[in-house]
Amino acid sequence: MSLNGKRILIAKPGLDGHDVGAKIIALALRDAGADVIYTGLRRSPDYIARVAVDEDVDAVGLSILSGSHKELVEETVRCLAELDAGDIHLFVGGTIPSEDHDELRHAGARGIFTAEMTIDAVVAAIEADLGA
Amino acid sequence: MSGESRNPRRNLSRALTRIANADVSETLAQQGALPTGNLPRIGITGAPGAGKSSLIARLANLRKRADRKVAVLAIDPSSPVSQGSILGDRIRMDAIADDPDIFIRSIPSRRAHDGLADNTADLLNAMEGHGFGEIILETVGVGQAEYTIRTLVDTVVLILVPHSGDAIQAMKAGILEMADIYVVNKADLPGAELMAAEIEQVADHQSADGWTPPVIMTSRDDPNGFAALDEAITNHAAWRADHKDVATARHARARYQAQGLISRRIDEVLEAADADFLDQEPGALFDAIVARLRR
Repeated sequence: MSLNGKRILIAKPGLDGHDVGAKIIALALRDAGADVIYTGLRRSPDYIARVAVDEDVDAVGLSILSGSHKELVEETVRCLAELDAGDIHLFVGGTIPSEDHDELRHAGARGIFTAEMTIDAVVAAIEADLGA
Repeated sequence: MSGESRNPRRNLSRALTRIANADVSETLAQQGALPTGNLPRIGITGAPGAGKSSLIARLANLRKRADRKVAVLAIDPSSPVSQGSILGDRIRMDAIADDPDIFIRSIPSRRAHDGLADNTADLLNAMEGHGFGEIILETVGVGQAEYTIRTLVDTVVLILVPHSGDAIQAMKAGILEMADIYVVNKADLPGAELMAAEIEQVADHQSADGWTPPVIMTSRDDPNGFAALDEAITNHAAWRADHKDVATARHARARYQAQGLISRRIDEVLEAADADFLDQEPGALFDAIVARLRR
């Protein structure tokens, strides 16, 4: 399997200032063949959705360590829909307690990745989801 | 996903993806549907780390007007190992990234050997007619990019930085004869003025066609340098309108595009070749490849 030809946006919404995890995932996705765009820190869901549209990505991965994952996922889903881009797949990774997973999936997250997962498992899940 | 979106920006960005991914046959098939290139195009090139993306952010901000949105096409290198890429220019364009009047699109170089990307000519054409007044093309600053960018844009800006050895290397490679405007970026670093003086000497010899390339010093904290660059680009466009032959430029673009398509078609044929095919004598193999090149 390979992510060749897939475009993926890795985004850091909200206020937490740690992007080591986001960068590691970005590099792993590149090594799996994807074209990866990274937004940089502290972006608004509105901004992330607009970049996703302009860059015509297949998927957006939100990296969230701040605890505001529910609000940020919901808001990003809303902003994507507003731009007629609700078909872009959404993933979320970070410190996300398991009791929140169902709610996030219900909001539209197609994959939830936590620190317990290996990088390979994250990449494999994204590959499977994108049908790569 | 196919079909028209109610969001025009999404239609544009999807069209760009289709064009970037098109193989040679698809590229040829879609030519009739593309607008021809009329928008002014500025090419920004220079070595990695010269500050191209940050400079483009400043420049795009200066050049946009109410009736002149600016489109930026930024090309980043693909990994030769995985074919994947990190398209990182956008982060450095922070200052404009949130401006709806500026459209930024990142494109991986894929297999292109010339610092551009496959189908760059078509990507530029596809950006016509979306309310943009100008297109800025940023290239991977390696290899032959400085030569090929020349055929695709109207004004070539070469970015150099002090003490990188760039100027000498660029002179050796003949790159210093290719640009319409030179920028010594990070001009607050020591050695900038000396470098600018060296380049000016070279540029003075370059005025055979009547345009003497200006040498402009820019640094992050000095808005005057960017204003001077903005003005130099406008001056060059005006000079070009009076002095450059449109047909010659059109022919150079046609030639570049044809050459690129043929070279990619050769790659396609060779990738599809099996062991038996490659086991032929060189002369027979050559003829067999040429036969397979046809559509």
